[in-house]
Amino acid sequence: MMLQEVIDIVKVLVFPGFLFFSILGLLYEWIDRKFYARLQNRVGPLYTGPSGFLQPFADFVKLMAKEDVVPEGAEKPIFSAVPVFALALSLFAVLFLPVYGTRGIISFEGDIVVLMVIMTLFVVLIFLGGISSASRYSEIGSERAILQLLGYEIPLVASVIGAAAVTVKANPSLSIRGIVEAQSGLWSIFGIQALGFAIFLLAAQAELERTPFDIPEAETEIVAGWMTEYSGKKLALLRLARDVELAFLCGLGATLFLGGPQPVFPGAAGTVISTVLFVVKSIVVLLILTLLRAAMSRLRIDQMVNFAWKYLMPLSILQLSLAVLIPNLLAF
Amino acid sequence: MSTAIDIPIGPQHPALKEPINITCYVDGEQVVGAKLRMGYNHRGIEKAGEYQSYIQNLYLAERICGICGIVHSFSLAQATEDIIGKELPRRADYIRTIGLELNRVHSHLLWLGVAAHEVGFDTLFMYVWRDREAVMDLIEEVTGNRVTYALVTIGGVRRDLPQERAEKVLRVMDLLEEKVKKYKKMCIDEKTLRMRCDGVGLLRKEDAIALCAVGPTARASGVPYDVRADDPHAAYDEIPFKVVTYDTCDVTARVLVRIDETLESINIIREAIKKMPSGPIRVRLPRVVPAGEGVGRTEAPRGEVIHYVRSNNSDKPFRWKVRAPTLANFLSIPVMLTSKGDYVVNIADIPIAFASIDPCMSCTDRAIKFVDVNDGKSWVWSLSQIKRVSHGGGR
Repeated sequence: MMLQEVIDIVKVLVFPGFLFFSILGLLYEWIDRKFYARLQNRVGPLYTGPSGFLQPFADFVKLMAKEDVVPEGAEKPIFSAVPVFALALSLFAVLFLPVYGTRGIISFEGDIVVLMVIMTLFVVLIFLGGISSASRYSEIGSERAILQLLGYEIPLVASVIGAAAVTVKANPSLSIRGIVEAQSGLWSIFGIQALGFAIFLLAAQAELERTPFDIPEAETEIVAGWMTEYSGKKLALLRLARDVELAFLCGLGATLFLGGPQPVFPGAAGTVISTVLFVVKSIVVLLILTLLRAAMSRLRIDQMVNFAWKYLMPLSILQLSLAVLIPNLLAF
Repeated sequence: MSTAIDIPIGPQHPALKEPINITCYVDGEQVVGAKLRMGYNHRGIEKAGEYQSYIQNLYLAERICGICGIVHSFSLAQATEDIIGKELPRRADYIRTIGLELNRVHSHLLWLGVAAHEVGFDTLFMYVWRDREAVMDLIEEVTGNRVTYALVTIGGVRRDLPQERAEKVLRVMDLLEEKVKKYKKMCIDEKTLRMRCDGVGLLRKEDAIALCAVGPTARASGVPYDVRADDPHAAYDEIPFKVVTYDTCDVTARVLVRIDETLESINIIREAIKKMPSGPIRVRLPRVVPAGEGVGRTEAPRGEVIHYVRSNNSDKPFRWKVRAPTLANFLSIPVMLTSKGDYVVNIADIPIAFASIDPCMSCTDRAIKFVDVNDGKSWVWSLSQIKRVSHGGGR
């Protein structure tokens, strides 16, 4: 009994929990930066480690050692708590992802609903962080983050619930486990879910605040938006939280639409292969997200909300209805 | 403006590479007013010029602006030659024209990259700047320097353009023409870029005329004002070219005017190399300039540059006055940044609207303004008062 508990703790702390996803997050940041740079005919990170692969790690360590300034007019408790909560929240979210096998460390019926809540909580944290920094740029950034949430949240939820529709036929379920098991034959993306995947990618781009939806932290307009006043350790934690969130959303995309880590065969070798499968699939999602980032300019907030309500919203409702209706019609 | 909060943009801000302050009055995301404050970068170049000889001043003038690498030394030489009143060898005029146009190609490409960055399209920014290196290397080969060319001297140019180098220029021009056409297509077709530029930074034709806008800013508002065509200097009288104008009056028009002008410049360079006569590249002019007044003007990449020189029969100018194009275009900025009727300016539009005039503060700043940062009051001090304050005694 004791041994089981130790294994569980190791699972949460090391693999496939906090440490694994922290490293994965930093690795994904490197892949993102490197691929983005290559798309722009640059070299990207180069000197720290082979091909600059240790650059995100070095950035993290450097920021941890830097001076930590809290603005005079800031709401100090909230301002200081936001980075910690952001990291905690994103590390909590990754526990739901199945890295090998079909279930994550936390898995229960209805867990994707909890994930949706977590993703929204993230924006609430961003809002609090920005509004408590007592800076005009941060305040505008916070307002934009909330406005943006109004645009992409419903499409995001609809695309995730749509992904759950694959379970309708055999064993209706709102859990990640059910979705992964239902994809053991054909991946969701080969079918009506292709549309859901596209919507998910756009919404994920908005959730991660990356071009064309990097509106809350638009560099040339409002400095760094809601992050403007953060420095030192707090910024390091925020960036790590961002990276883990990136790994989480890429992993979620791979799990919901690309079949996730299908268990190949039991045993240690099966675990390794299945983990590699998961990482490779989520890197595919990451590369698509990077491609989107490189190919477009930043939209204005009014244009973003317009686009989301005019196109993204109807499309996501259409995709959700089709995903639910088609299996039922076929059953007749 | 009672409900509006003011957002200071600058003097230090990521969107502005040089110090200037724009105070925008913002209601929600909408900008309802804007005020400019300059004077952070006074360098006293005009005054310094009065203590140096004309030849030395050419190199000082070159340092007025790092991007207009030839424009200021050319205009100063032109003003000085205007006083002396002697014809230049034709070949020198042609080489000067080639220098001016190479400068325009590099400056417009640089601006296109900056504009793309302002709207968050970094990929275009990186591509344009990569290809701009081709023309920078070419400038180094033709003039000897990448940034401050030191090509122009009083009475001609300092460096000839031999046949083999001219052929290299033509080769690079072919390459650039192809690239620039590609970017033009990209700017017209890329939907998100158009969404950020269409209808933004509106400067109507009547406003452009009333506020004396110059250069691409005026031409994008449909005002066909170009010193090269209106007052031909150097070899522009013998080279046919088109004055590019667009009439949508927004940032898109300014992007397209600059891209089309780059293509025109490439054609001008080709034509100049074809028509260039042989002969000497400079005449010796006296170092002491007779008393008189001279004006030099040319079309810099950003608009009309005017240099005025007054001489007093010595080798140093008595007064030297420079009007950079950005100064003329500054007046349009508050108009572009103020919502009026159907025209709505968002916070997100500020950087690109401001950048669309291709501002250059270091060229422009000639003034010092004293402002109390606490209550916003400003006043004027005489020279002796400034001296007293700077030496530590009160006013």
